[in-house]
Amino acid sequence: MAETSTSFPIPTPSANNRTASGLGRWLASERVFRLIPFLIVEGLFVLTILVPFALTIWISLLKWRANRPFETARFAGVENYQAVLSNDQFWLALGRTFYFAGVAVALELIIGFLLAMLVSRCTRSRRLYTTIFLVPMMIVPIVVGYNFSMIYIDSGPLNQILAPFVESFGVDPRIRWLSHPIAAQWGIIIADIWQWTSLTFLIFLSGFAALPRQLVNAARVMGASPWQTFWRVELPLLKPAIVIAVIIRSMEALKLFDPVVLLTFGGPGTSTQTVAYFLWEQVWVFNKFSFGAAASIVLLIIFSILIFAAIYMLISQRRPVEGSTP
Amino acid sequence: MAAEAARQRRLRRQRVMRVARHAILLAWTGVIVFPIFWMISTSFKDAGEWVAWPPHWLPHQPTLLNYAQIFAFGALDPTLSRQATEQAFTIWKGLGDAALVCTTASLLALLLGTFLAYAISRFNVGGKYFRHTILLIRMIPPIVVAISILIYYAIIIPYATTALLGVRISMFDTYAGLVLIYTVTTLPFVIWMMLSFVDEVPYTLEHAARLMGAGRIEVIRRIVLPLVASGMVVTFLFVFILNWAEFLLALTLTHPEVTTLTVLLNKFQSAAEGRLYGPQAAIGTIVTIPVVVLGLLIQKHLVKGFSFGTIRK
Repeated sequence: MAETSTSFPIPTPSANNRTASGLGRWLASERVFRLIPFLIVEGLFVLTILVPFALTIWISLLKWRANRPFETARFAGVENYQAVLSNDQFWLALGRTFYFAGVAVALELIIGFLLAMLVSRCTRSRRLYTTIFLVPMMIVPIVVGYNFSMIYIDSGPLNQILAPFVESFGVDPRIRWLSHPIAAQWGIIIADIWQWTSLTFLIFLSGFAALPRQLVNAARVMGASPWQTFWRVELPLLKPAIVIAVIIRSMEALKLFDPVVLLTFGGPGTSTQTVAYFLWEQVWVFNKFSFGAAASIVLLIIFSILIFAAIYMLISQRRPVEGSTP
Repeated sequence: MAAEAARQRRLRRQRVMRVARHAILLAWTGVIVFPIFWMISTSFKDAGEWVAWPPHWLPHQPTLLNYAQIFAFGALDPTLSRQATEQAFTIWKGLGDAALVCTTASLLALLLGTFLAYAISRFNVGGKYFRHTILLIRMIPPIVVAISILIYYAIIIPYATTALLGVRISMFDTYAGLVLIYTVTTLPFVIWMMLSFVDEVPYTLEHAARLMGAGRIEVIRRIVLPLVASGMVVTFLFVFILNWAEFLLALTLTHPEVTTLTVLLNKFQSAAEGRLYGPQAAIGTIVTIPVVVLGLLIQKHLVKGFSFGTIRK
């Protein structure tokens, strides 16, 4: 597009001179005009992302707590970074976040893929199923957290459904799921799966819809079994959709925060503290600003590596997806 | 005969497959519907039924008390207040703040994002990979953004303005502060979605208009905008839903003045008197309805929005 925009001479008709003053014409000239939105948005990003980050780095080098006046802060060098890197809770929270994200995303991919495959085989009921399956994605995550906290409580429907099985072992059926570390972790994972399987489902459904019919039919005509068609033809063609689903869901799942607050507040103990929750607690509950700033810089460095890998993969996957759709 | 038997067998297998397929899909429908059903059911339950054992699937004595409470004006009159719910938690403030902040931020992001998307699409502003670098902003964990913005809003800006202007200006807990950060965090989505819409507008149309003497602004106003208008509506709704659902930034950058709905809902969780399941369910229902309706309106475009245009339908 850019080449064409400069390759032909644009006549300056007299009708234009009526409105365009000198300044207006200067702003409308290609060299300047193309930069106006760019500069506004870049300015906004610099002002709200870069400047705060620079300040965060500076704060992370100070020794200071928010409950004391800012003037009392003194330069501390890398002290805060040492505190972060030697903090077990930080690393445990980080590991836990990756564990939650890994399990949740893997299950979301499998369930979403299966559902998309089944729905794409439907004819009349396809629209209805699609509409219903998309609903969780639109529900506010906080409300999802609330819903599941209601289901998990000791006198909730989950315990009622399980009661016949549990009572046969002579156990009180009113189990407090969120008071047990491992059950609480799975509680959060299940809430995440409930909400975000709809996204992987949607991505795979459009992947299935974009499959070139001729190739699948050709395979069938040439005598491939449904099993072979799936593994040898459909799955390789769906690879871009799978990569995109993995990247998008992983990046989001690593930010996990809302359901943790709603369901467990990081507890019992610290068993469901994700890294986002850990940082929130350090800064907003314990007022450890400098520690939080240093930790967020460390987190940003770790995430940057993942982000660059993700964007590189997105760039390399973009082309085939575009090519496969008319 | 043999062929006929094989056909019969195949038909029977197809029928079994179809039944199995619908069984699985209906089971998942149940999984999806159940938590929503439970919330709506709880929102009509009276205090005694919230945690009754065995749980009541449908309220035995349906009541509108929860809704009356959250929609009450001013202080609760004695008929509405309950032992456990003395504190008045009305929804009006949260609803108003959320509507104001989300609408303003979404409109701002739409305006800036559309303009930039046009520039990227037509002039390749910022280089070949500019559209991907924009994604970086969206991928930064929000907690990292929240910490640096908190330091910026609550410490640096007041400190700097006191030193330079002699007036203490704080962006913490203000509408402007929240709108600004919402605008910035949703801009990548707007740019990506609008890019896919603007890319579809044929450049030859603009060529023709330019050759016939239309100015640049006129080309945008008369040719491009009408063609991407529906895309702008979709983008606006998508971004509005994202802002409406946002919790972390609202929780961390506002207290106690500006209260969006998600923060309000969370307040019930930490309320000193114990959890108010009923009003919470009522608020949840109210919060959910508009976004689900809007979401279903733009159903076809959701995948484009969530996948940053990497998947196109």
